[in-house]
Amino acid sequence: MTRTNLNRFGTLIAFVLLCIGFSIAAPAAFASPANVFNLVQQMATLAIVATAATLVMTISEFDLSVGFSASLAAVICFVLFGQGYDVWLAVPAALLVGIVGGAANGVLVARFGIPSFVATLALGTILSGFAFGLSGGQSLFQSVPDGFKSLARGDVFGIPVLGFWIVAVLGVAAFVLTQTEFGRRLRAIGGNAQAARLAGLPIVRDVIVTFAIAGGLSALAGLLLASRLGSVQHTMGEPLLLPAYAAVFIGTTASPTGAPTVAGTLLGVAITGVMVNGMTIVGVEPFVQKIMTGVIILVAVLLRRVGRAR
Amino acid sequence: MHKSIAALGLASILALGVSSGALAAGEKVSVITPFLAAIATGEMIEAFKAKAAEYQWTVDVVDTAGDMAAFASRVEDATTSGANAIVLVSVDPTQIQDQVDKAKAAGVPVITIDGAKNASSVLNVTSDNYVLGETMTKFLFDQIGNKGNIVRFFYSAHPGVHQRELALDAALKANPEIKQVADHYVAVPGQVDDSRAAMDAMLLANPGDGAINAVWAAWDEPGIGANLAIEAAGRKGIVIAGIDGNPQAIDLIKACGAYIGTVRQGFGEMASIAAGELNTILAGGSAKADELYAPVELITRESLGVTCP
Repeated sequence: MTRTNLNRFGTLIAFVLLCIGFSIAAPAAFASPANVFNLVQQMATLAIVATAATLVMTISEFDLSVGFSASLAAVICFVLFGQGYDVWLAVPAALLVGIVGGAANGVLVARFGIPSFVATLALGTILSGFAFGLSGGQSLFQSVPDGFKSLARGDVFGIPVLGFWIVAVLGVAAFVLTQTEFGRRLRAIGGNAQAARLAGLPIVRDVIVTFAIAGGLSALAGLLLASRLGSVQHTMGEPLLLPAYAAVFIGTTASPTGAPTVAGTLLGVAITGVMVNGMTIVGVEPFVQKIMTGVIILVAVLLRRVGRAR
Repeated sequence: MHKSIAALGLASILALGVSSGALAAGEKVSVITPFLAAIATGEMIEAFKAKAAEYQWTVDVVDTAGDMAAFASRVEDATTSGANAIVLVSVDPTQIQDQVDKAKAAGVPVITIDGAKNASSVLNVTSDNYVLGETMTKFLFDQIGNKGNIVRFFYSAHPGVHQRELALDAALKANPEIKQVADHYVAVPGQVDDSRAAMDAMLLANPGDGAINAVWAAWDEPGIGANLAIEAAGRKGIVIAGIDGNPQAIDLIKACGAYIGTVRQGFGEMASIAAGELNTILAGGSAKADELYAPVELITRESLGVTCP
């Protein structure tokens, strides 16, 4: 294998080696169809949030509100269920809140020039306040319609329903980013915003739309997570933030240019998912799991950086 | 990039190497919690591990640090990995009903310690949290002469803690001369520091003598945080009571400061009862009941034999 191929496929090969390692260590459990089914389910919500992060990072911005948006959407949905509304009203309403919240992020960043770190953290904190207030700080799990639960549970022809969500969301996102005029504009903005502005690209509109999509995807992830668990806590989406960006960063090591891509992000999600799942199955102590997950992220990104510097 | 492959490969080898100790002989029991950072949860898990060692079980402990999605995933992993039993600590299984149902369907018994009864779990061992809240609240209210102003530190996401809050609500209704002037939803993990910061703010917002007479802490760690703030501010005339019988809280009670009482939950006993019942279940028997209670005890200066100047 040439050095170029190693650079291009190194992260993928590392993922395969991880799978092989865990399969040898726990062949009956890790490599079982039931565990593969579990893995797909466990990765789905993170994959969708990480896709939202990928879109925003494509325009060289960050969205720190993704986890908060996911929580708020799930809380709104369950509160509406509690008031007797059905799935067809509650789910779109929750998604709409995510989209509006995301668009508000975009307006703050593109119109008012507030750094995305600050704008999205501030708005995310506001969203978390609404989630807390609406839920009363309690876990919500009553009055959940069966139709909602089926959004993220069960399987079709042996493939978990959440697997279809991964394919649909990431497939559309990858297509938009690589095959459409809008996607090319986003990459141009991320590559050099000043040049994009001078070229007359509608930067403000595109940034707002990108954040709105990210907000909608985050809300979707929150709803799918709520469907999978059958319960909602007002902080449930927050732990998704750091792993989502970790996945995007790992994914960039698989990209020839080092730019975020949907395929790379999926690989990053798969590596983090397999690491945690595999180490749990073989019984690695929790503190070792955390150390090793951090080391893997650091090593992958660091060596990529060293490799590119050469 | 070949170096990164080597590093990842090395990491996986390390992972497998570290795991070799966990693949010892005996029944494999997965203990999973989102709240290992809480002292009480840690105490229960340590006590359970000690009993498990007597039974020669292999115990894997997993903490998801408040992440309920990861918690659900780890329950799935435990089911898939062929655990002989799953023990959930400090959590209501209803919050991950689908995963608990799957464990049951796979023939893996699920028991909870300090959790809640559930149709798909075989046993919950806990304290009667309403009684805990009632006992502590009555003691605290008596100490301030059943009138004055209190502040509340709470965490309704935990089903047991919520029961204690309901006991406080009922007591407030029955004692109209006691007013709740502020409350704080505690951040977990980081509960002590978070509670200290909240109490700092409450003291500033209620500056006069008698503006706050008592702190009602749903468990001891927020009370310990509040105690730090009260000490730092030098405020007098405020008393604190909590729940759990946390060793640090007991030291504070002995120190004759603001902390005056805690209700000890028998965390060690809960874990011992759970392990004993699980041993019966793994041997093919059944638990004595689907919910068992460990005894509780009010700890005060009087019960500790401490005389303050």
